[in-house]
Amino acid sequence: MALFVRPSALRSSLPRDLIAACTISLNSRHFSVLNRPPPNYPGHVPLTFIERAGLAVGSAVISLANPYRGDLIAALGEATATPYFIYRLRDAMLASPTGRRILRDRPRITSQTLSMTYLRSLPPNTVGRVYADWLDREGVSPDTRESVKYIDDEECAYVMQRYRECHDFFHALTGLPVMVEGEVALKAFEFANTLLPMTGLSMFAVTRLKPAERKRFFTIYGPWAIRNGLGAQEVINVYWEEQLERDVEDLRAELGIEKPVDLRDIRKRERARKKAEKEAKERSGDSLGVN
Amino acid sequence: MKIPSTSLSTRQLGGYVCSGCTRQLRRQRRSYATSTVNPDLYDVVCVGGGPAGLSLLAALRSQPATANLKIALVESQRLDATRNFQLPPTQFSNRCSSLTPSSVRFLEQVGAWQHVDQKRVQSYEEMQVWDGVTGARIEFDWPAEKRGQTIAYMNENLNLTSGLLKRIDELGGVEVLDGQKVEDIALGSETEDFDLSSWPVVSLSGGRKLAARLLVGADGANSPVRAFAGIGSRGWDYERHGVVATLQMEGPGWGGESKIAYQRFLPTGPVAMLPLPGDYSTLVWSTTPALAAHLKTLSPKDFIAMVNAAFRLSPVDLAYMHTQSDGQADELAWRSQHTNFDQHRIPQQVIGVQEGSIASFPLKLRHADTYIGERVALVGDAAHTIHPLAGQGLNQGQGDVESLANTIQYAVTHGQDIGVRMSLEPYNAERYAANNMLLGVVDKLHKLYAVESGPIVPLRSIGLRAVNALGPVKQFFMDQAAGTGVKIL
Ligand SMILES: Cc1cc2nc3c(=O)[nH]c(=O)nc-3n(C[C@H](O)[C@H](O)[C@H](O)COP(=O)(O)OP(=O)(O)OC[C@H]3O[C@@H](n4cnc5c(N)ncnc54)[C@H](O)[C@@H]3O)c2cc1C
Repeated sequence: MALFVRPSALRSSLPRDLIAACTISLNSRHFSVLNRPPPNYPGHVPLTFIERAGLAVGSAVISLANPYRGDLIAALGEATATPYFIYRLRDAMLASPTGRRILRDRPRITSQTLSMTYLRSLPPNTVGRVYADWLDREGVSPDTRESVKYIDDEECAYVMQRYRECHDFFHALTGLPVMVEGEVALKAFEFANTLLPMTGLSMFAVTRLKPAERKRFFTIYGPWAIRNGLGAQEVINVYWEEQLERDVEDLRAELGIEKPVDLRDIRKRERARKKAEKEAKERSGDSLGVN
Repeated sequence: MKIPSTSLSTRQLGGYVCSGCTRQLRRQRRSYATSTVNPDLYDVVCVGGGPAGLSLLAALRSQPATANLKIALVESQRLDATRNFQLPPTQFSNRCSSLTPSSVRFLEQVGAWQHVDQKRVQSYEEMQVWDGVTGARIEFDWPAEKRGQTIAYMNENLNLTSGLLKRIDELGGVEVLDGQKVEDIALGSETEDFDLSSWPVVSLSGGRKLAARLLVGADGANSPVRAFAGIGSRGWDYERHGVVATLQMEGPGWGGESKIAYQRFLPTGPVAMLPLPGDYSTLVWSTTPALAAHLKTLSPKDFIAMVNAAFRLSPVDLAYMHTQSDGQADELAWRSQHTNFDQHRIPQQVIGVQEGSIASFPLKLRHADTYIGERVALVGDAAHTIHPLAGQGLNQGQGDVESLANTIQYAVTHGQDIGVRMSLEPYNAERYAANNMLLGVVDKLHKLYAVESGPIVPLRSIGLRAVNALGPVKQFFMDQAAGTGVKIL
């Protein structure tokens, strides 16, 4: 980390020096919008401290109002991940032999690198097939991920990219759907597992859930997420590309993740129950002759 | 042979002993048929021929007032190897110490520094110290008017002890009993001639017995003299080993003529690289015993990579590389591309390690309860053992020796018995508190930096940065390091 102690500071009075010395770490980036430094990697946009703060607040507000603005959720993630949290995640990778291999190889997960035809041809109990089935069921593709722009360190930018690209594997492993309720549950899991602030912030979306969904979150998925997120291995260290043919239960067991009850099933049953109740009510209403 | 003109009570054998007198005494004693071997009498018996013991003898022999004391040195190792210490200029012993300017001034005063091979001594003028977790730095560089002034001198312990021995040989008059272990120390007995009941009598493996008016323990950390005197020693083990090695660097250093010492605080302990003449440096890496053992198993190539990594990579990378049985060189090449460091503020690349120079020593803190007893004085590591992070161990010993030599000189010139506690009191008073303070400060530094996370980490980096920004405070630290500053206490 660069230290910017101006030579004059050494000569000036004592308290000012102390203050200068204590605040250095805050202004470690010295530039204004007029003299933005060159990018550190293709697509990098260096931000000033103010811009970064603005980006964090703005993207948080808008993505809360509209949770489908994936680009803004991504921006929020980047703005809040630096400087500390993304380093923590990178260090978690550096502490693990597999994590280190991933950082060395820098694999990318796209429809080019992972053939859907191949994945669909795998036996149903494999990680690859479960992943493909999940993509098909939810109607999403691995190419819908934003690329990283606002993280300054080139290696950390890759970590963020990797985290994002693995997100769908987390979905597949847990079976949680892409709808807001599933997303919130998975974010809670990721927060407990990665400690990335964005995943925690995203959980404010809980406030947007319907009362029944919120109740489910606090009784079923919230506790599941915390228990599993904290208890599981760091999921960022899974080399998914090497696990595709592995038995999915096997991998869950190795990572220490229990599959939560199927959210779509619950919702279906809930809907069916409501419908049945409503019909029953209507029927009983009819029979009683009440309008 | 001149007998010092002191007229002390003879009951306690007050007058100083000279070799002539002892011979006479022994002759007298022989006429009494005793079954045990009678001890030879000495004014000073020094156990331990390390840096502390040899400096004391050189000092006593070079001061006129103490030059006539009858002195013996007991050392378990043969001293010929030390005396004839010689290595080509491309090889260095792995045990090196930094000598402060005040230690060097003292050694000059006793006439020993002149016998130390100066081509093997390297001064340094700058220090770079930083925190491996936060990157915060403190740069020790003299202000303009003092630029180029020496902070300390790196020197092989053997080059020093060899110089000291040459000086002692030149002065003569010390009975050197090397290659002989102390087997027993006990109080003497009362005979009809004189009362040796308060005199320690040292029995050697060779069969000799030496009775000492003053027994000096310069016998290192496990001092038998201290044990004899019943002086307790308190402290703790750091659960750390100091790994040392002689390293060849890519060049003579970034400073050109002026050399730089480097120290980085890692969560496992500090790692230091200190300059030797030419393209060489010496390493002191304090780390856990397990990691020290691991480092010693590595191939030279991977050991070199680990040392380079220790000054460059993050603690996370280092922790991982400590788990690898090989391949550190490859790992370093990869991680260097993704780690920011300012080349010119860290040591140059290590390119070689001298064969057989990698070794490790357990690190501990010990402080004797007192440095003196009746007819006993402790100096150097026998009195105190310190963490090597401040490079002070040997220097503290030099400070002790200077003080003890002065105390003995005072006692001799004032007609006191040099062995009695009262005569030795000034030595204890002068050195104990000062050493205790330094031991405490260095211990706290070690503990402060052995913390990897938590609230202390940002605080200590603010601390280092604040010190770095504050000229006067830095000056104070530098003066302390160089031993030229106001003495604390
Ligand atoms: C890794 C490391 C790095 C260090 N770096 C530095 C540094 O940079 N600067 C610094 O100032 N200090 C440093 N030190 C400390 C320094 O080496 C010691 O403080 C110094 O050697 C102590 O000298 P001494 O004469 O008191 O004891 P020693 O050097 O231990 O000498 C004791 C002598 O007594 C002899 N002896 C012991 N028992 C008996 C017996 N029973 N009979 C006869 N003889 C006996 C031994 O053979 C030995 O020769 C370092 C220490 C370590 C471990």
